[in-house]
Amino acid sequence: MAVSKCTRLNGPLIKQMLDSVDSVLFDCDGVIWRGDQAIPGAPDVINLLKKNGKNVFFVTNNSTKTRKMYADKLALMGFNATEDEVFGTAYCSAMYLKNVSRLQGKVYLIGSNAMRQELEKVGIQQTGVGPDPISGVQIDWANVPLDPEVKAVVVGFDEHFSYMKLNRALQYLNNPDCLLVGTNTDTRLPLEGGKAVPGTGCILKAVETAAQRQAQTVGKPNHFMYDCVASQFSLDRTRCLMVGDRLDTDILLGSNCGLKTLLTLTGVSTVADAEAHQESGCPKRLGMVPDYYVESIAELLPALQG
Amino acid sequence: MAGLVSSRGCHKIRGSQIRELLDSKLNVLFDCDGVIWNGETVVAGAPEVVTLLKQQGKKVFFITNNCTRPRASYVTKFIRLGFTDVAEEEIFSSAYCSAAYLRDVAKLQGKVYVIGCQGVVKELREAGVPIVEEDTDAPTGTIYDYPLDPDVKAVLVGYDEKFDFIKLAKACCYLQNTECLFLATDPDPWHPLRGGRITPGSGSLTAAVETASSRKATVIGKPSCFMFECIASQFNLDPGQSLMVGDRLETDILFGANCGLDTMLTLTGVSTLEEAHGYKDSDDPERKDFVPDYVVETIADFIEAYEEEEG
Repeated sequence: MAVSKCTRLNGPLIKQMLDSVDSVLFDCDGVIWRGDQAIPGAPDVINLLKKNGKNVFFVTNNSTKTRKMYADKLALMGFNATEDEVFGTAYCSAMYLKNVSRLQGKVYLIGSNAMRQELEKVGIQQTGVGPDPISGVQIDWANVPLDPEVKAVVVGFDEHFSYMKLNRALQYLNNPDCLLVGTNTDTRLPLEGGKAVPGTGCILKAVETAAQRQAQTVGKPNHFMYDCVASQFSLDRTRCLMVGDRLDTDILLGSNCGLKTLLTLTGVSTVADAEAHQESGCPKRLGMVPDYYVESIAELLPALQG
Repeated sequence: MAGLVSSRGCHKIRGSQIRELLDSKLNVLFDCDGVIWNGETVVAGAPEVVTLLKQQGKKVFFITNNCTRPRASYVTKFIRLGFTDVAEEEIFSSAYCSAAYLRDVAKLQGKVYVIGCQGVVKELREAGVPIVEEDTDAPTGTIYDYPLDPDVKAVLVGYDEKFDFIKLAKACCYLQNTECLFLATDPDPWHPLRGGRITPGSGSLTAAVETASSRKATVIGKPSCFMFECIASQFNLDPGQSLMVGDRLETDILFGANCGLDTMLTLTGVSTLEEAHGYKDSDDPERKDFVPDYVVETIADFIEAYEEEEG
């Protein structure tokens, strides 16, 4: 694993670094777009990387879109990308349940329609998606009818999250054999138009607290998302670069998987944040120090065009 | 026979031992769920115990994290379950104490944004604390766009069966202002009903708001001391002469330890004797405060303690 040095990437170092990798994994929010606006220069970066023979993948903790929806969004913004290059947590959670948990049964889902679609694509039925208003009294809530085929509670971003959904999840989780899987722990979700709302992490925390147990999370920084990409494309991790805007998810994922890491400053984390982790000397925090950083991925353009 | 604060003994006591302990105390504070009742079922003998203690000249208080009823409604429940002499002033719920905190301690100048059931809202109204209440039957706005009240100076989170994403988003927005207070009625992750059933508690909703806002709530309910301070300020209680009786080690017993009270675990509720011994045998010094001084099978054992003397 490269020693994390938090080096400003510029000049000949850019080309040198790009020549040392075959595959580039990009986070999306705050890296290649903000809401529905592409980061200036980002489409050219992605398209030139591909032209130069690099593999490009998109790895996002956002569970609100299917791979197809992401591919459509990418195309609309001028990115030359295909569905199988996209790895969002809706898709990856479905893959996790199918291939790692080997789930035999249904899912109680607190999540989006996108999650429902990705689950159905791998043959997993769900119950629970959509609004779920409360009625009756307390003892009714404790006695909600449970589908005996449900073997896992899965939590992703859900704008319809409610007490009743939290309650149903708790009742299912009373069975210690019922799995609890979360898409990610991000506390904020960026929306189109630049606003942000509470993220999946808040919903997951409510479920974990009520049920008094920890979820298995699929998204960054857990290595599963890298494993998912690697299982479908042959990757040499020593020749892979992870590009992200968050030290605690993107960069940590990169470190956990032995990839090179590049922080871009068009999103959440700052250089000061990275330096604070570096100076802490704390082993747990050193994984959040990127190898390199740039102001924006557009800074890679001259080296790609030249 | 009072236990030393530094070496809580977890002694199971009966008969004259209970009598001796009670004779040394002026005040007895009872948790409710799992101690004097379980849901709608009274713990056999509990009403007689309360009457007996009052006859012996003790002050008796009921201190509960359960914020789903206003005090007046608790009085009705007490009567319904056979308690004949419980007054509203003796009942301290986390909802009542949260309202008291906002009015008397925080001296709030402004409104409270409430995530809470009617039990919470009614106590705030009774205390005269101005509130902004979410009307989930006629929601204003969506998660993308919602109105905020400029007079909100505090957010209070309690048990709320109508909790939804918009409430979470609004609370998070209000809490971006570091001057805005952040209170939680109680930390209980789940709320016990009869028959061992549970529903999500205030603690799970508070955890969501804490995660969204990156702030920690000030918790009013047990094990925080505020509820004891609330009672003590009204009734002039000496902690050294007070006994806390509860069924949950992590709330009631820890509360007692935090406030300098002797503590008694009753086994008619959540925690077991094994769990208490587990904390006692633990190497972790922080676990010592979860160990009760005394343990009884049921508070009904108090009756026998007095009968023995007389017999």
